[in-house]
Amino acid sequence: MTVIDSPPEEITVAPEAPTKGTNDLARRVGSWVVAYLGALAVFGAFMALKGVNPFVAYRDMFDSTLMNSASLSEVLIKAAPFLLAALAVAVPARGGLVNLGGEGQIVMGGIAAAGVALGLEGKVASGLVMVAMLVGAMVAGALWAALAGVLRVGAGINEAISTLLLNYIAIDVLLYLISGPWKDSAGFGQLASKPLADETRLPTFGSDGRIHLGVFIAMAAAVGIWLLLRSTSWGFQLRVAGGNGEAARRAGLPVAKLLLSGLITGGAMAGLAGAIHFAGVEGQLRPGMTFGFGYIGFLASWLAGHHPIRIAGAALLLGAIAVAGDSLQIDAGLPAASVNVLMAFVLFAVLGKKPRLAGASR
Amino acid sequence: MSIATLEPSADRTKQSPSIIEVRGLTKRFGDLVATGDVDFDVRSGEVHSLLGENGAGKSTLMKLLYGVYQPDAGEILVDGVVHRLDSPADARALGIGMVFQDLRLIPAFTVAENIALSLPGGGFRYRRQAVERQILDAGAELGFSVDPKALVRHLSIGERQRVEILKVLMSGARLVILDEPTSVLAPQEVDGLFTAIRSLRAKGLAVVIITHKLHETRAIADRLSILRAGRMVGSGIDPTTVDDRALISAMVGREVPPLPVERSDPPADRPAALRVTGVHVRGDGGNTALHDIHLEVKAGEVMGVAGVAGSGQRELYEAVLGLRPLHTGDIHIAAVEMAKSDPGAALALGAVGIPEDPISDAVVPGLDVTEHLALSNLSSLRKGLGIDWARARELVAELDRQIGLRMVAHDRTVADLSGGNVQRVMLTRAFGVDCTLLVAAYPSRGLDVATTRRTQELLLAQREAGAGVLFISEDLDELMELSDQIAVLHNGHLAGVVTPGEVDRYAIGQLMLGGSE
Ligand SMILES: Nc1ncnc2c1ncn2[C@@H]1O[C@H](COP(=O)(O)OP(=O)(O)O)[C@@H](O)[C@H]1O
Ligand SMILES: [Mg+2]
Repeated sequence: MTVIDSPPEEITVAPEAPTKGTNDLARRVGSWVVAYLGALAVFGAFMALKGVNPFVAYRDMFDSTLMNSASLSEVLIKAAPFLLAALAVAVPARGGLVNLGGEGQIVMGGIAAAGVALGLEGKVASGLVMVAMLVGAMVAGALWAALAGVLRVGAGINEAISTLLLNYIAIDVLLYLISGPWKDSAGFGQLASKPLADETRLPTFGSDGRIHLGVFIAMAAAVGIWLLLRSTSWGFQLRVAGGNGEAARRAGLPVAKLLLSGLITGGAMAGLAGAIHFAGVEGQLRPGMTFGFGYIGFLASWLAGHHPIRIAGAALLLGAIAVAGDSLQIDAGLPAASVNVLMAFVLFAVLGKKPRLAGASR
Repeated sequence: MSIATLEPSADRTKQSPSIIEVRGLTKRFGDLVATGDVDFDVRSGEVHSLLGENGAGKSTLMKLLYGVYQPDAGEILVDGVVHRLDSPADARALGIGMVFQDLRLIPAFTVAENIALSLPGGGFRYRRQAVERQILDAGAELGFSVDPKALVRHLSIGERQRVEILKVLMSGARLVILDEPTSVLAPQEVDGLFTAIRSLRAKGLAVVIITHKLHETRAIADRLSILRAGRMVGSGIDPTTVDDRALISAMVGREVPPLPVERSDPPADRPAALRVTGVHVRGDGGNTALHDIHLEVKAGEVMGVAGVAGSGQRELYEAVLGLRPLHTGDIHIAAVEMAKSDPGAALALGAVGIPEDPISDAVVPGLDVTEHLALSNLSSLRKGLGIDWARARELVAELDRQIGLRMVAHDRTVADLSGGNVQRVMLTRAFGVDCTLLVAAYPSRGLDVATTRRTQELLLAQREAGAGVLFISEDLDELMELSDQIAVLHNGHLAGVVTPGEVDRYAIGQLMLGGSE
């Protein structure tokens, strides 16, 4: 721009209405509180209808989740796969994609971990088996998500639908393996794969020795994904592609590659969830072992506006609600699945409060 | 002559009563005073021109009269009685009608269906034949030929505008507000519109016409009013008592310097920055949007592109920048053929675009000004795996100083800005790149007079620096002033390439409408 002399004085900054006051912290926190209290109130009414005193039930739920260290560990263990499953939603969401396939990607991750264990156990050091399980699971989850990604960028097939359908296929693969090739011959007729050897299970920590390595892996993954999205050029480009794909294309960004890589990264997180649940909790493949994790992760990601650090909070909350569900069953005689109703109320309250949740924030 | 000495008009409408009068009307958007303490009146049987720069508050004032917005202070009198207009329906019931800047017909409906939707007391039954006859009658009275059975999506912009005007008249309007009706029309179509407006005036109706073109005001207005930054700086003035310079400085608040006239001639031996050969392009609907286009833009030349809205300008823009595949033909940028339509390849050859519709094609929700500018410069801002945002901020600050279009604070989210400020971001981004080809679509849209001037200077500066400039505009004055040559599009065909000094605006209008030179 050498030709241009100093710009003329008379051009003035055009007036601009101030941004709507979203910075008012007190009001923002207040509206969250109202949303959650609202959800609790509606669920309380639901319990009252079922003949359960909601105040007693809430106190029991609270006591059973947060008032002793054993149940606190339980909350963390439940929250870890939720967290990873939510990251599987959040990363593609940055690119404007809806990953409903966390469930299937988790199952494929679990299958891969089990396969690695079957193949390597006893042949190499157990530490190596563990690493191979985790890596293999990430690759499997990533590939499963990549299937949907290729359909999306290659043929324009909606990824929300394809990821969802792939869930059913993944579960069929699981059922096939544990009822056929990988069936545990010592399993007394129960459909399951051969249990993992004790030394290849993820190491545990804590006074009660229940918190396994996977909890820390999940936390590290959340921080890693947060940094990836926030600080890398890739994260920025993914955000541009998700915010306005046409603008990204016109800026010369490789939109198809970006979307694909977003889905693949998400799939890897889900695969990891499958691995830590398999190698940290279950120890063997069985039907329904991951029932609903993918969907709860979806919920967690939306609750948190797809922000990795906030997702960790949402995963903890949902972990606590899941643990509380057990107490609801024992103490109040309501089916454990009732907590799903509570989760749904929380989701509606939060979505109703904040209509633009889909817009990714930094 | 200063505007303070301008006297209110003493013309023949002086005795007619005011249909509408507003006193102290104020409307705020947040801290922004869109209209502040405005007094204004319109009399029956007059054409009243409302002048003002972009963002002066003209549309806001008219939307207050039409009940779209409610004032924060002040009152509105209709036939001398104070009224509250809570909705456009209230305004329509009082005989006020408005044609918006962006036309609002339903494309999939016929003309008659669109009009029937707005007729008062129509009930639920749609009496098609009666409505169609009414449309033909009303059209004949105004000299409009409108086919009531035609689907709106098959109509040109000019025809749609006529439908909007008929719609307003048929719903019983005595005051017709037209918000920038001429901005999308060819000169001949403007003449037709003005004929219709005169026949409305002859019937005793009142018309408010918003425009920022002085020659249009002079052609049609009985009185004029001027808004500047939300304030009425001249109300009810007789146009014959003021000259153009006084009007412009009233609109702008100062004198606007003319464009530099001395420009180097485009050198004949320069290479082509852009060569378009035999290009056919399909539109979004699969129709052929560009037919056999041959066009060459030399380095150091401004090639204007004129045409009625929707004549293939958008498709040309997109084809040249690799955004839309060619059906046949080829495009060379700086003598290199673009192998396939690929925006990245066009960028790599030094082709830069200023988009027609930034909100849908360039603005990313949530990103601020700095991030938008960094987007076109990612490779040079790379720092490890990340982006050197500190440097990006410095570069953007420096660029803003150099380009001088005064963007808003660089940490503001672009998607929240008004059109003019978004456009400044787009322009600063485009002008900040050393390019071989600049493709500018309506670059001064939404800008005030001074900023428009600066933008024109920047376009010419790119030309001086040796870039080829393809300059798409709907403003013939601007095209004639800036272009070395003007390519005229009609219906996807290249109707002709003319040299501004050698033809007048009517000749160009003739080509735009499909006639020969
Ligand atoms: N709905 C709105 N919300 C916030 N600001 C607005 C709105 N409508 C107009 N404005 C602002 O008010 C000012 C006047 O706008 P407008 O009346 O459209 O101007 P004009 O029609 O004269 O170009 C501009 O700065 C514009 O950005
Ligand atoms: Mg306007």
